[in-house]
Amino acid sequence: MPSAANHPHECTVFFLPGLGLDAASVGAIAAAADPRLRVVGIDLLDRGRAASVDDLADTALERIAAEADGAPFLVCGHSLGGKVAARVMARVLAGTERVFGLAGAVLLAPSPPTPEPMPGDKRAEMLATAQGEHLSREDAAAFVAANVAAPLPAEVQEAAIDAVVRQPASAWREWLTAGSLEDATSLVGVLDLPVVVLAGDADEALGADAQPDLIADVYPRARVERMPGVGHLLPYEAPERVAAVLAETWDAIRTAAPVVPAEWGRVIASSRVDVAVRRTLAHRAIADDRDRAPRSLNRGQVETLRALAALLVPQGDGATIDLATRIDDMLAEGGTDGWRPLGSPADPIAYARGLDAIAAVWPSEVVEQRNLVVTLITDGIDADGVGADGIRSWFEDARNDLLRMWLAHPASLARIGFDGFAVGGTAPQPAGWATIAAGERETWEPSELGQTVVEDAA
Amino acid sequence: MTGDHRRVTDHPGMQRFDLDEVVDVVVVGTGAGGAPLLARLAEAGLRVVALEAGPDFAPSEFTPDELESTKINWMSERLSGGDDPTAFGPNNSGYGVGGSTLHWGAFTPRPDARDLRLRTDTGQGRDWPIDHAELIRYIERVESDIGVSGPAHYPWDPARSYAYPPVRRNGSSDVMIRGCDALGITATDGPAAILTRDRDQPHYGLRPATLDNGDIHQGDRFGAKATTANTYLPAAVAAGAEVRPDAFVHGIERDAAGKVTAVVYRSGGADHRQRCAALVLAAGGVETPRLLLHTGVANANGVVGRGFMAHGGVQVWGTFDEPIRGYRGYPSSIISEDFVRPDDADFVGGYLLQSLGVMPLNFGTQLVRGAGLWGDDLMSAMGEYPFSAGVGMNGECLPDDRNALTLSDELAEDGMPRAEITFSQGENERAIDRHGVAVMERILRAAGARSTRVLQRSCHTLGTARMGDDPADSVVDASGRSHEVDNLWICDNSTFPSALTANPALTQMALALRTADLMLAGR
Repeated sequence: MPSAANHPHECTVFFLPGLGLDAASVGAIAAAADPRLRVVGIDLLDRGRAASVDDLADTALERIAAEADGAPFLVCGHSLGGKVAARVMARVLAGTERVFGLAGAVLLAPSPPTPEPMPGDKRAEMLATAQGEHLSREDAAAFVAANVAAPLPAEVQEAAIDAVVRQPASAWREWLTAGSLEDATSLVGVLDLPVVVLAGDADEALGADAQPDLIADVYPRARVERMPGVGHLLPYEAPERVAAVLAETWDAIRTAAPVVPAEWGRVIASSRVDVAVRRTLAHRAIADDRDRAPRSLNRGQVETLRALAALLVPQGDGATIDLATRIDDMLAEGGTDGWRPLGSPADPIAYARGLDAIAAVWPSEVVEQRNLVVTLITDGIDADGVGADGIRSWFEDARNDLLRMWLAHPASLARIGFDGFAVGGTAPQPAGWATIAAGERETWEPSELGQTVVEDAA
Repeated sequence: MTGDHRRVTDHPGMQRFDLDEVVDVVVVGTGAGGAPLLARLAEAGLRVVALEAGPDFAPSEFTPDELESTKINWMSERLSGGDDPTAFGPNNSGYGVGGSTLHWGAFTPRPDARDLRLRTDTGQGRDWPIDHAELIRYIERVESDIGVSGPAHYPWDPARSYAYPPVRRNGSSDVMIRGCDALGITATDGPAAILTRDRDQPHYGLRPATLDNGDIHQGDRFGAKATTANTYLPAAVAAGAEVRPDAFVHGIERDAAGKVTAVVYRSGGADHRQRCAALVLAAGGVETPRLLLHTGVANANGVVGRGFMAHGGVQVWGTFDEPIRGYRGYPSSIISEDFVRPDDADFVGGYLLQSLGVMPLNFGTQLVRGAGLWGDDLMSAMGEYPFSAGVGMNGECLPDDRNALTLSDELAEDGMPRAEITFSQGENERAIDRHGVAVMERILRAAGARSTRVLQRSCHTLGTARMGDDPADSVVDASGRSHEVDNLWICDNSTFPSALTANPALTQMALALRTADLMLAGR
């Protein structure tokens, strides 16, 4: 259910509802949402199945793929929908889905990938209410009342009860007896992307006190925000705050990473692209965590590398890739390009010594910084244990590494007009080129790539 | 998922030899040198085992992403020095069953007769101790074995024919043809080991016609490009050879008389010893001399590693008004042999020209390393990428003993000392470069380029265990056999006495068949 606004949006929010709820439960959040966000509620339980996380993720991904437009998107999962969101994100990042643009998540009292902590008597009690085709209105009302910190306004409460009554009881039964008990840790893995977790202080099992431990192993970047006077039904109890956090999260992401244009996102999501390529590009599109502890370099060296990167590979106006963090990752993982100049020490040592030597003489004026770059390219400078020739050689490697890290990002590929990764793919017949002549492009290609349009062979 | 899922070692009937069995021949390496030889020896009934350092990839595991695709390259660092350090990694190396044919450009010019008698004709460089006509007979067999496409009429060798029509011309092909036509330079569709029609490859099955994808240097997922993994190696395995992937050879054992008795290789973290009656090193122009220097074998005269050669591979790129997007289509479809012996040369030897499309990271790396760009200049040059068409050369390189491969004090991850390669161009190479750059700039300007840019580079690793008749001045004889250890042969680019203007892989495959025949004849 897309929001009514016709405002051109920057980002889509795919909302995955909690147990007993459906797409309509995002209504108040959508109404309060920043107009740059398109909010799309996804029904998860209407098919009556919830026996496994992948059952629900299948449904979610089918509907997300139908609604996705290639532009960035956030996943917003509530409770049960939070567990599904984790699996949805893992599958999107694995490249197996015809979806591209995952940028981050806002999770509302999410059920964790581990078996959900739920007292046995509560589980039995809920199961007892779900024996028919639907919950009775009384049981639904009791469920809503038990999950809020304070009574909801009458109109809101009625809407919540309506939603609960609408869901097939079979979905309740399957979730309570199987889906919520599934250990999905290995299906989810570690999801290293921007995540905010909102949780009420009046929610017991999935509240603000419990969440930090539940999510620590899954979301290394997650920030948990405690919501005073809020229970478990955040979409009904605190829709304005959820909407505000969605906008804040999107703002943080769009200032931390370049955006892959929607037309390019659609190509990456298409069957012309191999699973492995989509996986690689999906990971590279995630905004860098500029505050995280460096893995190979130290913080000062990362700062020096950032300053150099701004001069050597200037990314222009707008959000940038944190090339220094990506090189630090490369060094930590032992990545190389297969050779190095004779006389230059191994990369992690060369980087550390080179950056320290540069930091020691780094001028404050940009003009002088540029002069220093020229000196580094032509002569090098002396560093601890490495002569000027060695630093000059390393500096060529470093300039190349910075360019490699920049060019690897899908937004950079879009910027230089390269869609040659969209060959092969997942269709029964591998994708090749209908036209390879200058000036011509095919119908599936981004519009800026050529004037003359040629129908593709398929 | 699409892509070819066949692996060489999936063959259900593949022989497995016992480690203690003295097999007739162990071949180290499965690329353009090892694989044809392996197939020929197996077909003749010999018990043969090929040891490959890298894994046995299914083609469907290849990826067009230029960072991820380096799994098919030898990525353990080589140390590169001299005035003109040559690049390794994605340039110049292979890893995996198929060796460097997994990533090769499949450009298959034939060697020119004049290049084989360079010293006789010019007094410089070295002659090949091999008759050109004999080599061409083997070349023709290779072309038939692997499937080569090319023009109906080859201007510089009218008698020649190709089994498959040429690959489709892309934007940069049209540019080079246009420029050459305007200048009266002969250029035409080049020979390439790229299928333009479906082919039933013996012992392999269907290899489909090309999809015109530009990512062949990252590994062809569909099999239109010939590799040894979809041609000679399946034939070898069908004939009784064993291919053992993930087997890194680091030791050679010999008896009191100096004859090789076994090789020692690491696989799965443990050392294994395969006994053998003869050994063929086919690990390439870097790993073969590295192993010889490390083991101290076949180097009494001190020639191993000396005279390293790399082809001049300078490129000139022009910027055009309309999008060329040369990443579509076979990247180097046009050839000119007009400059194999240019009339106005101030150098000996010559060069080939080819049209160039390129993947973006390769382009960007050369802007940084080859043109020294940084900052706004670099970014605006990257912005011109889709509007760029290139012409590149493959130029003769004279052997010079000051250019050498030696061992470093530093150990690589595999436990052996790293290879150090020192390379400086001589005056002849610089003169070829100058000539080539001037011609390429004229071609691009004549085709309408608004501006041109020169990117310096070199490629291929040649001559580090050279072939020759003089045992004091070479490592192997004309058959590829060690002068010093009579059950040791070398079959890879390290034996090249001179560089040739032709790219080396086709010639290498022919040399492999020839060495195999000579090994069989000597039994």
